[in-house]
Amino acid sequence: MSYHEKRAIASMITWTLILLAYCTYTFRKYQLGVIATDDMKSWSSTILLFIGVGIVAAIIIQILFHILLSVAVTVQEKKRNGTCDDKEIQKTIESDMVTDEMNQLIELKSMRIAFIVVAIGFVTALLSQVLNYSSTVMLNIMFVSFLIGSLSGELTQLYFYRKGVNNG
Amino acid sequence: MAKKIQITNNIRRLRFFANEMTQQQLAEKVGVSRQTIIAIEAGKYSPSLELAFKVAATFGVNIGEVFDYEIIE
Repeated sequence: MSYHEKRAIASMITWTLILLAYCTYTFRKYQLGVIATDDMKSWSSTILLFIGVGIVAAIIIQILFHILLSVAVTVQEKKRNGTCDDKEIQKTIESDMVTDEMNQLIELKSMRIAFIVVAIGFVTALLSQVLNYSSTVMLNIMFVSFLIGSLSGELTQLYFYRKGVNNG
Repeated sequence: MAKKIQITNNIRRLRFFANEMTQQQLAEKVGVSRQTIIAIEAGKYSPSLELAFKVAATFGVNIGEVFDYEIIE
């Protein structure tokens, strides 16, 4: 499995954790009656909180992922070639992390999928207003669609790395 | 309707004749990741014209000797 596939999996785990944490947190608060359906201020502050938490979690998980990857590559290289030095290990890690035209193409295609998912979420959110649902429903649909969009973008990347990708 | 084509390549064979050049060595010479060379060799990715020329130049052959195509019915 390549560096880019592993990174996509790490990002997928991050987005899934944030989504699950958000659903659990808001569901519990809603059940306890802390947040009312029409309390726009509470829902907004909760979403803002989760945006902050999400950014911090994404950074931490990426740092942890890169540390673990470096350790794994070092162990692997030492096992394969006991006499290899730090320079060779560094070179192996750097060559794994190269972003080339294939990675850019896959990123572009996955971003398109993510954008489509977010757009569907946006339209659904607008529809909820047309159907007289609360404004907080619209807010939630939009936030969740951003999370699902990011998740589906990473999933698409993984799919293209496995299946292959063609120009056009 | 335009017929679909499948790009094929002889990179594995050319690597063999270039003193068993590894995928990593080829990747470094053309400036891409090893993953991309693996994908090209397996026919999972069709490289850009620029990369295709770079690969051909690395082996010192014409682009037609590295890449070919088959028409898919």
